[in-house]
Amino acid sequence: MSAISFYVATIIVYGAVDSMACLALNVQFGFAGLSNFGFIIFQAGGAYAAAVLSMGPWQKSNGGFQQYVLGWHLAWPLPWIGAALFGGLLALPFVFLVGKRLRGDFAAVGLLVSAVLLNQLVNNFVPLFNGAAGVSIVPAPFSHYWNPQGLGYQFAYGGVAVVLCVGVYFLLRRVTESPWGRSLRAMRDNDIVADALGKNVRVQRTSVLILGGMIAGLSGAILVGFINLWAPGAWGYAETIVLFAAIIVGGAGNHKGAVLGALLVPLGFEEITRFIPPLSNPALVPALEWVAIGLLIIGFLWFRPDGILPERRRILSGSAKSPPDSSSTESDSLINLGNLEHMDFRQLLRLEGDASDHSIILSTDRLTRAFHGVSVVSDVSIEIQRGRLTGLIGPNGAGKSTTLAMLAGTLAPTSGKVLYEGRDITSMPSNVRAKAGMIRTFQLASEFKKLTVLENLVSAIPRQSGDSFVGALRGRRFWGRDDAQNIERASEMLEGFGLSQYADSYAGGLSGGQRRLVEIMRALLAQPTILLLDEPMAGVHPNLAHKIGDQLTRLVASGMTIVMVEHELAIMDAFCDPVIVLAEGRVLAEGTMAELRAKKEVVEAYLVG
Amino acid sequence: MTVFLSSLGFGLISAAVLAIATVGFTMQFAVTNVLNLAYGSVMINSAFVTYFLNYHAHLNAWVAMIGGVFTGAAASYLLNRFVFTPFQRRNLPPITIVIVALGVDLCGTFGLQAIIGGSYFTYRQSQGRESHFWGMYLSTLQLIIIGICLVVMGLIHWLLKYTRLGKAMRATSANPSLARNSGVRTQRVISSTWLISGALCGLAGTVFAMNTGVFYATSAQLYIVLLLAAMFLGGPGSVYGAMLGAITIGVATELSAGYFNPQYKEVIAFVVLLGMLTFRPFGLFGSEKTI
Amino acid sequence: MSVELSTSGKVLRASAVSAGYDGRAIVNDIDIEATPGKVVSVVGPNGSGKSTLLKSLVGVVPVLGGAVTVGDTDITNLAPERIAMLGVGYVPQIDDVFPPLSVKENLEIGGYLLARDDVAPRIDAVLEFFPRLKTMMSRKAGKLSGGERKMLAMGRVLMLSPSVLVLDEPTANLAPLVATQLLEEYIRGFADHGSTVLLVEQRAKAALRISDWTCVLSGGRVVLSGEPSDLENNPLFVESFLGGGAKA
Repeated sequence: MSAISFYVATIIVYGAVDSMACLALNVQFGFAGLSNFGFIIFQAGGAYAAAVLSMGPWQKSNGGFQQYVLGWHLAWPLPWIGAALFGGLLALPFVFLVGKRLRGDFAAVGLLVSAVLLNQLVNNFVPLFNGAAGVSIVPAPFSHYWNPQGLGYQFAYGGVAVVLCVGVYFLLRRVTESPWGRSLRAMRDNDIVADALGKNVRVQRTSVLILGGMIAGLSGAILVGFINLWAPGAWGYAETIVLFAAIIVGGAGNHKGAVLGALLVPLGFEEITRFIPPLSNPALVPALEWVAIGLLIIGFLWFRPDGILPERRRILSGSAKSPPDSSSTESDSLINLGNLEHMDFRQLLRLEGDASDHSIILSTDRLTRAFHGVSVVSDVSIEIQRGRLTGLIGPNGAGKSTTLAMLAGTLAPTSGKVLYEGRDITSMPSNVRAKAGMIRTFQLASEFKKLTVLENLVSAIPRQSGDSFVGALRGRRFWGRDDAQNIERASEMLEGFGLSQYADSYAGGLSGGQRRLVEIMRALLAQPTILLLDEPMAGVHPNLAHKIGDQLTRLVASGMTIVMVEHELAIMDAFCDPVIVLAEGRVLAEGTMAELRAKKEVVEAYLVG
Repeated sequence: MTVFLSSLGFGLISAAVLAIATVGFTMQFAVTNVLNLAYGSVMINSAFVTYFLNYHAHLNAWVAMIGGVFTGAAASYLLNRFVFTPFQRRNLPPITIVIVALGVDLCGTFGLQAIIGGSYFTYRQSQGRESHFWGMYLSTLQLIIIGICLVVMGLIHWLLKYTRLGKAMRATSANPSLARNSGVRTQRVISSTWLISGALCGLAGTVFAMNTGVFYATSAQLYIVLLLAAMFLGGPGSVYGAMLGAITIGVATELSAGYFNPQYKEVIAFVVLLGMLTFRPFGLFGSEKTI
Repeated sequence: MSVELSTSGKVLRASAVSAGYDGRAIVNDIDIEATPGKVVSVVGPNGSGKSTLLKSLVGVVPVLGGAVTVGDTDITNLAPERIAMLGVGYVPQIDDVFPPLSVKENLEIGGYLLARDDVAPRIDAVLEFFPRLKTMMSRKAGKLSGGERKMLAMGRVLMLSPSVLVLDEPTANLAPLVATQLLEEYIRGFADHGSTVLLVEQRAKAALRISDWTCVLSGGRVVLSGEPSDLENNPLFVESFLGGGAKA
């Protein structure tokens, strides 16, 4: 009987530890899109830290048969706190790998390799953590007062582990269900666009790595306090794969899914094998376990990539109805922007300043961009006036989109300057420009596919109190009211554009025209001082394009500045003044469309080339 | 000087095995844009087929090697046909395919372990005499492996530069759409690439096992790191880059073993790989456009 | 230009073709016919779907409705390599060469479908058209200048002696003089030799000069078509490009 009881206690501890680890990895992988193939480093680091903090100096302990660093003989809970801190600290060197614009699979491989490298180093460099033999006789917490071998102790230990796990669950849920969590998911879905809307992707990724690292470290500490030893053999890179399998099976992007996966895969698997009778080939069962994990990964990714418990839809509208998730292109011509006529743009978009002020807000000085010696944009010097809708046109390959990208900061110029309100912002990164009020849209589909339409819109609103790690930690009581107001504003915008019924639909399933509108609404909610639109009418039904153009004119009349790259010259005619013509990377002419049509060189550029 | 030369000798054999392996790996990446992390498991399974033919069918190890080469070719072809291609058709992010590849690697490596158990194996072949020249110590076996490597590199060079298929492979990797519009049946070219690179994989696995002496099911699991280091050094997808990368990594690891500590000889490969990924993921000679 | 470069052309016909990615049509209900010995050009403002139309004819973009035929063969949604086998040569607007391959190798790939012994004489024949390339045979295509690259792209497609030539903005990024020469000497020359030529051009007026028939595409549909002489004098022509009324 007591053997079973001991077994149950062990299961509880392992279950809690595995769940904690999976919850942390899930935040990194499922919510933030960070494929941390080196996750095991952080758990191992925490285990070692807890061990060497709780053990005495090695020369004096147990006859000095194992070498390790520190040995400060600290009492609980200090070793566990130290473990969490160390886990977080370990994340810092990897920021360079995930911060840059490296292909996801390359970065993941870099992390995997780091795990292997560190395992090798620890394995071979004995003075650190006693090399291959690892550290053993790690004291259990309070072992002087309470016999760790006793059943009561073990259940108490399990209880503490579960409590901590539950605490981690609620902590992580608080983090991910906040506006900051929304920004993480937006970054996961499209990091370039998130950056263009003002999110600091590098800080977000760093925070997630550190947070996950700390929790992983704590889980390692809990484990080592229970099993009292830790060696490189316990933390090969394959252990990370098991955790990934758990998340894939349980459900990436879902906290309960992470726990479920942890209980099924690392825990369930291990324990099932215990009950298989010993076979002639003792290596057979563990080997088959690995084969099964491999098959689970492939099987789930093929048949059910969302896992058993897929990511939940966040209903922001408060509506109980089931939202439509797809619509056809035909509906584009029926979209009615009529409600917008009644809306006061200045109030809706928080526009300030004098709407009749047409001073220069943005200018470039000899802007040039070359790719491998070929000039795409050469010596472009333009001035954009406040409160006007400036068109940027030109034949294919004229450099329009490249110029726009340099204005927005998503592309760096080879030479030349960009000046905003008099300041030289040439070296200002795109997310900082976005925060300063320069908002751009993209030519190709850029909605956050796995966020609902409302989430897409709200994510763009700047200066949200909950859109920071600290803000998220402070919980709903801190950011709740602010968020509700933002949702209100976004809903108003949505209603104005006539798309309220799609508030809780996933943005990825809408028609082309609808997604385009979502993008424009999102850009507007980002509180731009100047909007940089890259072919906003591409692929949009002409009726709808005209309606959009009307509203853009109204916007400009309310004081907004817009620069629009466009092909549809009919739009230019109706709405844009002035219009800048680019050809072969240089400015060819500027004026109203009527004036430009009269200019021979413009007609030549378009018709003859 | 003696340390340098003898390390150089070990470096050459290391580089020879690594070159065969890396060229195969990089060809798969060039034409399919997938980091085939299951490569190691195909290597070791091929090595084991050679062992089986050598030990149980009593074939000479070099003859048995042909079985290993065939295994590598067939396994790689099937892997692409039934795993990578179907997954790629689903337009998933590249990371998903990498995770799938890891899953396959687990199945392949531990499936083998389930069959053969955890014990060590070694080929029934003699190492031959140890030759001593120019300060380097290399056994006949190792000299033969280096010879095979040179021949194979020559064949690959001939394939890519002088044959219709080789040019079609390079065209397919550079611009698959234009290749198709020129009449190239890219599906067939891709399958052929996997067969050829798979053969290289099988060959690499066998000579790896021959050179290591004793091997077990998980011997090649960590080899992938050296492979990646060599590939990224020369530029992902570049065959000549892979050859250069392999020589560099092979020699560098042995030199560091000779001069510093043999226990940490792989560290230099890791450092190179992490450095390349951080600063120049397109290789020393590549440019941003290539990936 | 005495070298026989093209075999007699075939008729390329698109009937009520709608095409686009992901099931969304970018071009709708297009009827175009290109016959041997004639140049048919497709012009229109940017974003009108000209490139997409061409790509759907050669198997690069899915055809969602209607049919495409070459001669008597239905090539709707046929694989690009099979379309090439029928003698349809396509030159895309960008990504028109194999950058890491040498000029010679690019041409060899162009002649992929030829019998081994026919390749070298064919290359010589193509080089007669573009003698400048003779000095660059071992240079990598990625290192060529814009004009040289376009010559190579055209040379590649000529290797097949195509009976139908489909060209997407062949003069993009070329200096005006080179562009004119390409259009008036070479492309017109191909048609005069018997090939069928269908091209998309940005330089509408230049295209009109060499065409036997021109279609104007706007918003994914044909809004105007006819003989160049008729179109030039049609006020709607300029309007469809620049929008609004053209004020001279």
